[in-house]
Amino acid sequence: MLQISLIAILLALLLTTLVLRARVRKRAAELEREIEIHKRTEDSLLQSEEETRVLLAVNEHLKKSLSDILDTLPSVIVRVDQDGRVDLVNLRFEQFSGISAAKAYGMLLESLIPHFSAQLQQIAEVIDRQIPASNTMIQYRNGKELNYYSLQIYPLNGEASGKAVIRIDDITEHVRVEEIMVQTEKMMMVGGLAAGMAHEINNPLGAILQHAQNIERRVSTGIPANLKAAEEVGVSLELVRAYLQKRGIFDFIGHIRTAGVRASDIISNMLQFSRCREIGVEYVDLAALLDRVLELAGTDYDMKKKYDFRRIELQRDYAADLPTVQLTVAELEQVLLNIIKNAAQAMAVPAQCRPPRISLRTGLSEGMALIEIEDNGPGMDEATRLRVFEPFFSTKEVGVGTGLGLSVAYSIVTKEHHGSIEVRSRPGEGSCFAIKLPLRRRS
Amino acid sequence: MHNEHISVLLVDDDRMIRDCVGAYLEDEGFRVHGADSGEEGLAIIAAICPTVCISDMRLPGINGEEFIIQAHSICPAACYLLHTGMPYIPSDELHAIGMTADDVLLKPVHDLSKLVNKIKHIAVAGREL
Repeated sequence: MLQISLIAILLALLLTTLVLRARVRKRAAELEREIEIHKRTEDSLLQSEEETRVLLAVNEHLKKSLSDILDTLPSVIVRVDQDGRVDLVNLRFEQFSGISAAKAYGMLLESLIPHFSAQLQQIAEVIDRQIPASNTMIQYRNGKELNYYSLQIYPLNGEASGKAVIRIDDITEHVRVEEIMVQTEKMMMVGGLAAGMAHEINNPLGAILQHAQNIERRVSTGIPANLKAAEEVGVSLELVRAYLQKRGIFDFIGHIRTAGVRASDIISNMLQFSRCREIGVEYVDLAALLDRVLELAGTDYDMKKKYDFRRIELQRDYAADLPTVQLTVAELEQVLLNIIKNAAQAMAVPAQCRPPRISLRTGLSEGMALIEIEDNGPGMDEATRLRVFEPFFSTKEVGVGTGLGLSVAYSIVTKEHHGSIEVRSRPGEGSCFAIKLPLRRRS
Repeated sequence: MHNEHISVLLVDDDRMIRDCVGAYLEDEGFRVHGADSGEEGLAIIAAICPTVCISDMRLPGINGEEFIIQAHSICPAACYLLHTGMPYIPSDELHAIGMTADDVLLKPVHDLSKLVNKIKHIAVAGREL
């Protein structure tokens, strides 16, 4: 009996132990799971902290990039509120207005760039109606130069709604290029017209010149038909001649011929100038070339009207034994005419107190033909002298010069003719252009 | 050679030019004929074969160049000159019949006595050929 009860107790004990062990194991597993979850939460907490840091960095980077982009753009960019007060500017704005971003914030944009105030009046309306406004060809004289600008106002929406972005661009170069294209087209048209007109004018001019000559001959005593006709109408040819002489009619006829020759020279110069380039290279006497260009300059309408070319003293010092030079006449004429025109323009300034003079010299230098054109005008400073052959560089008023003349001259002399062109000058002492050309053109 | 033995044909559609050059040449004693187109010029060439023929370049029908080429085939003995308002270098065909840049007269001829000398010169040279 005791034995049985002891076994029973042992069994119960064993059972309990087993159950307990199972429970402990289960709990341990639960605990383990809990720990795992904890750990995971902690990890994810750590991770999100890291993510936030990364996000912040990305955000910072983005901001920087955006401001870099804004600063890199060639446009002036400003953001303003409804009242036109600045709350964001880019670097170009600071350069353009000379006002730092820090100083600009909160200021009325109109007070910072007053020459655009007319266009800036549109800000409120743009924000109100949410329609952009665009203005182009705004002229603004920045020191000596006249510049052109475009100004756009865009309404902002989204978070920044109620504000507007203003974009200003310098379109001066663009406007100049357009002007030059128009000018070039005009020149080509003028060239074509000149050629056509020359042809039409030559016949009447021929009739004027030749009939003047015929009149002279038909009152002369040397032609039998004249004597016969005089006898038939009962006059003496000698008396007719005496009368014409007394009334100055022979002089008039002489003047008609001189005037006709002059007009015809103008026409033939125009033809020379408008001649196509494909005529090609010729052997040219530089003295004759320079003389023709001077004549051309004297007949140029602008030169006559504005610069009174005839009042300029021309000093010619041509080398006697200079061989002919192989060159393209029309091109060299263009170069020389440009330099001479520039000289005439430079000497037309009111401050020019000495009588204007252009000296032209030819000669040989190191086996090359040398042409020098010197004026006694105001000259130029070193900064200007260094830039005269640069395209678009002009010291003249807008519309007077394209800023291309001397750069084209430079390319004709150096590239087309393998020569050189340089300029010596000092303020107050005039300028001297020296062109050197190889005697024979390299192919 | 006496001038009256020299005949000159002027081909120009502008009567004014034919008249003023013609009057001068007549006063010199040349025999002068006129035509206002290349076609009319060819008819005269066929009939008289002049010593010298001076033709304008721009003409209503065939142009001066074409006229000279055809005229030369009819009358190779004549000397041909081109009288034109534009600088011109004779084409290969004109070169082939002996014309050079010297045979191009630029309008307007300032002094017709130079033209007379030229006509006399080429009339004599033409004989020698």
